[in-house]
Amino acid sequence: MAETHAVQRSSMAPAEAWEPRIIAFLCYWCSYTGADNAGTARLKYPPNVDIIRVMCSGRIDPEFVTTAFAHGADGVMVLGCHIGDCHYIAGNHKTMARMPLLKRTLVDLGMEPERFVHEWVSAAEGEKFARLVRDVTEQVRRLGPLDWPQRLVQRGVGTGMGREAWGH
Amino acid sequence: MNANTESMARTGKLKIGMYWAASCGGCDISLLEIGPHILELAAAADVVLWPCAADFKYRDVAAYPDQYIDLCFFNGGVRNSEQEEIARLLRRKSKTLVAYGACATDGGIPALANTTTVESIFAASYLDSPSLDNPARVQPQPITACEFGELQIPHFYRHVLRLADIVEVDYQIPGCPPQAERVWTAILALVAGELPARNRAVKVACTDKAVCDECPREKRKVRIKEFRRPHQALAEPGWCLLEQGFICMGPATRSGCGALCINANLPCRGCYGPSGAVTDQGVAMIGALGSILDASTEERARELIDQIVDPVGTFYRFTMASSDLRGSR
Amino acid sequence: MSATGNGAKIGVFICHCGGNISDVVDVKRVADEVGALPGVVFTTTTTFLCSDPGQVLMEQKIQELGLDRVIVAACSPTLHQLTFRRALDRAGLNQFLFEHVNVREQVSWVVENHEAATQKATRLISAAIGRARHLTPLDKRRIPIHPTALVIGGGIAGLVAARDLAQRGMNVTLVENRPFLGGRMAQLHTLFPTGEVARELLAGVVEDVVDHPLITVLTNAQILESEGVVGDFRTRIRIEPRGANEHLNYRGNAIAACPEETINEFDFGLSRRKAIYMAYPGCYPPIPAIDWHTCTKCGKCVWAVGGKGIDLNELPREITVQSGVIVLATGYDPYEPLYGEYGYGIFPRVITLQQLIRNLDPQGPTGGQLPLDCAGSPRIAFIHCVGARQIEGVNQRQPDGKVKDYCARTCCTGAMHAALDIKRQCPKATIASFYQDMRTYGRGHEAYYERACESGVIFLRYDPRHPPRVERNPKGDSALLVSTRDLLTGGIEVEMPADLVVLATGVIPHDISELVGMYHCAVGYDSFLLEVHPKLRPVELAVSGVFLAGCCQGPMDITEATAAASAAASKAAAMIAQGQVEMDPFNATVNDQLCTGCQTCLTVCPYDAVSRDHVRGIALISEARCTGCGTCAAACPSNAIQQYGFNDAEVLAEVAMLLHRAGPAPAVS
Repeated sequence: MAETHAVQRSSMAPAEAWEPRIIAFLCYWCSYTGADNAGTARLKYPPNVDIIRVMCSGRIDPEFVTTAFAHGADGVMVLGCHIGDCHYIAGNHKTMARMPLLKRTLVDLGMEPERFVHEWVSAAEGEKFARLVRDVTEQVRRLGPLDWPQRLVQRGVGTGMGREAWGH
Repeated sequence: MNANTESMARTGKLKIGMYWAASCGGCDISLLEIGPHILELAAAADVVLWPCAADFKYRDVAAYPDQYIDLCFFNGGVRNSEQEEIARLLRRKSKTLVAYGACATDGGIPALANTTTVESIFAASYLDSPSLDNPARVQPQPITACEFGELQIPHFYRHVLRLADIVEVDYQIPGCPPQAERVWTAILALVAGELPARNRAVKVACTDKAVCDECPREKRKVRIKEFRRPHQALAEPGWCLLEQGFICMGPATRSGCGALCINANLPCRGCYGPSGAVTDQGVAMIGALGSILDASTEERARELIDQIVDPVGTFYRFTMASSDLRGSR
Repeated sequence: MSATGNGAKIGVFICHCGGNISDVVDVKRVADEVGALPGVVFTTTTTFLCSDPGQVLMEQKIQELGLDRVIVAACSPTLHQLTFRRALDRAGLNQFLFEHVNVREQVSWVVENHEAATQKATRLISAAIGRARHLTPLDKRRIPIHPTALVIGGGIAGLVAARDLAQRGMNVTLVENRPFLGGRMAQLHTLFPTGEVARELLAGVVEDVVDHPLITVLTNAQILESEGVVGDFRTRIRIEPRGANEHLNYRGNAIAACPEETINEFDFGLSRRKAIYMAYPGCYPPIPAIDWHTCTKCGKCVWAVGGKGIDLNELPREITVQSGVIVLATGYDPYEPLYGEYGYGIFPRVITLQQLIRNLDPQGPTGGQLPLDCAGSPRIAFIHCVGARQIEGVNQRQPDGKVKDYCARTCCTGAMHAALDIKRQCPKATIASFYQDMRTYGRGHEAYYERACESGVIFLRYDPRHPPRVERNPKGDSALLVSTRDLLTGGIEVEMPADLVVLATGVIPHDISELVGMYHCAVGYDSFLLEVHPKLRPVELAVSGVFLAGCCQGPMDITEATAAASAAASKAAAMIAQGQVEMDPFNATVNDQLCTGCQTCLTVCPYDAVSRDHVRGIALISEARCTGCGTCAAACPSNAIQQYGFNDAEVLAEVAMLLHRAGPAPAVS
């Protein structure tokens, strides 16, 4: 798991009203270019989705998703090329199976399914990308903050919950 | 100091301890599996704490000087305040503290309780189970007034924790239970000073590789066409169980057990926790499993996935407490 | 100070992009905020970072300050990533110690609120800074190249590619699996827009190829197996026995003597040919070939030529060809309408455009005579978009379960061309074109449409959801009746008696499923081969060293196919000329301490880049074959595989930095 570095943040603390924080993993050849396509067309969408690019959606390890949630993401998106159109032949076939399996596991852990969105976006589908960003941001906004780190703190992760032991 | 501790201080033998927290007792028994080596251990070491086997009091332990215990094994997860207190106590009183077994290392089976609530567990245990006779719906309370005064029992925590979540751990011996041969080798190494007394939760009595390394079955590099559970079909001998559709956690599980379960024709259940550089065993398996399904359409992928009965219980059976998400929302 | 450093000297360059970014994002503020992050020693904003002054600034600062990581925040990396990497290279810093943040297409152009856009830019750049600390210097992979090319396919595209490569001094082997060169172009009559005779043009190109000393032409050749990687492909080819050889003098006698006949595929089933045959007049090689499926080895041809030049017992030969690059020019097949589609197969007077063209060809099965009574004012209906632009739910699915939803490009102009040819032969003919859209898009193509209009061709536009119907004509004044709602006249139902119905059919890629498997080609949903990028790298496949020429990539006319073939030859030649190929360093690598030999990665790699080291029982990834998709890295259940440039530490650092809240996040290890 990634180490988190202690970082001095000058005036970066976000405003008090909560805004959904959504991480999206995009494959370079289709979905990332699709997102660029939305930009070239000057489509407008909310700023809540931050994009992380990888070369192929097949690179997206389910651990990226759980790490994102564990670090405080309110939603996660995984976008790849349409089936049959993968630049690397069949990377998205693996994504196509991994993500639903991961989603089932997350839902069994009490996560609302709308927080984890897995979709296919081609390089020409700027409209679809913009629509997805809007829809998912709204969905997550309605669900409210997930705040899994708070959950972890409640679980005593890293900080413990204890009293002093006997006999000292 | 009492008579016991006085004598031990004089003998100069190795001091070892074994404590059980949220545990089934299997780890304590597993230590006995070292068989004839137990005599060697007895000759070289004094047991200064072993609630399963001998009657030591907590106040005895509290009275030990700090770092008195040379080698202390702690098995079981931490689920209540008593277990946490003793964990902290033993950390102070031990030179080397070892998380022993899956529960102390990764949460083990008890950590599956993190997928539900305390209320739900208490209801099942004390209120709703069909075999209960509890018309007054009595549940345990931390403090109960009675004719003798106030009875206190440990505070039941809302979550199961690993030992490393509470205190600094020097070594971890994974397994449910850990296999005796390797445990003995680890004990010897620790005692001989081949491993430093203080360390950073290093896993010992195991390898860095996954069970596939020790597994006698062969891979045919085929994709999974259908999932089956062990009671539903006979496995073909010699061929990888996972490829046959029995969910074997072997690829995502640390080896050291000698592939015991597989040698008994049952798929590995993952009790040694994650292998290699992995911290979350469940997503490691999900990533691997999703990669080898025989599915070229989304529909088929979903059909196969729907055949998996209990993903959380399957992929996190022993490691919920060391996963990224730790439990349910 | 080491050359690579450890991310302690990060430089951040933020581009205004001439206002495209800075009009929305407060770049100065962003620079100040990220400048406060640990490790950042320099920040700046500039108008156009991709410009020469921008590049020079970057190089200067790298050298002056000894920067060990460079972050650029600008337009999309798809545009200038290479430009900036080269600047690092020129400044002496490893070009992969670089992060490119997209703050234009994905921030300033899409986020309306300026404050939100500024915060987002800061967030993304901070994430890149966090990621940058985990970067390590990487070197492009360099594979030596064998200076020869293998061109697969002897149609016009393959011929042009082979010729162009040879003209640049490359040794070329051209492999054609039929007995004769020429491909589909040979089956045409005259070409648009020049009106030239196809086979005459073709003959010129064939001569260039055949006469060139550096080109070896293999016909009747099947590709059995192709192994290796770019720079060193080894292809095993089986040359099927031709049966006849250059010593055969009396070709006509041999063919006439043959008693066995079969359908002539060259004429799309309109004629028959013998078991020993020549494909078309002027074909190359000018030696008959024997079709062993039809030949009964009766020997009559041998008798007819005095025993010389025919060997019925000729054996196949196998050779192995080594090449540095491969050009795929395997072409297309015309769409074969399904039985009953617009009456095809039921009514003999429903033919395809390809069959019509064979009929128009003076060297064709009917000597150029149309199957029409020209004196009697025949009526001909063309139906466009047959097997093209199909709609799910309206058109019947093909055997592969899909509909052919793409446009086949050439058939509109082809239909207009053929319509004019019909008019020339039958001035009294009434011709109607049932079309969806008229796509005579190319240079000089519109003229065909205009001339068709002028010569009286009637145009009826149909709604693709309600295609025309072809039925037997109950009134008997013609064989068939074609009816549709004509959108041009507001949807009036039109019925046209037709003596001939011509289906302008689409195209499908010629079946090369084995080659696709051998070369690990990406294939699109439409079943054509998928190029790396349709605009920036249109003739390359993701597999390095394999190039695309012509219709194997998509429907195109001969103009476009020859352009593509020349482009492929040019790319291939450039690769060979460098003596080595450079590949991105984003390959995957196995940590042999952690690998357990579970073989999940072997099952997962679509390029067969992973093999098993049987001695150590672990996985090995071929540096040359790996294309850098990273699927194995995600699949490995031991996290023993990492992908350079996209390893877990880098990606997870990015995740952590993006989500960092005020104050440290809980330790989740």
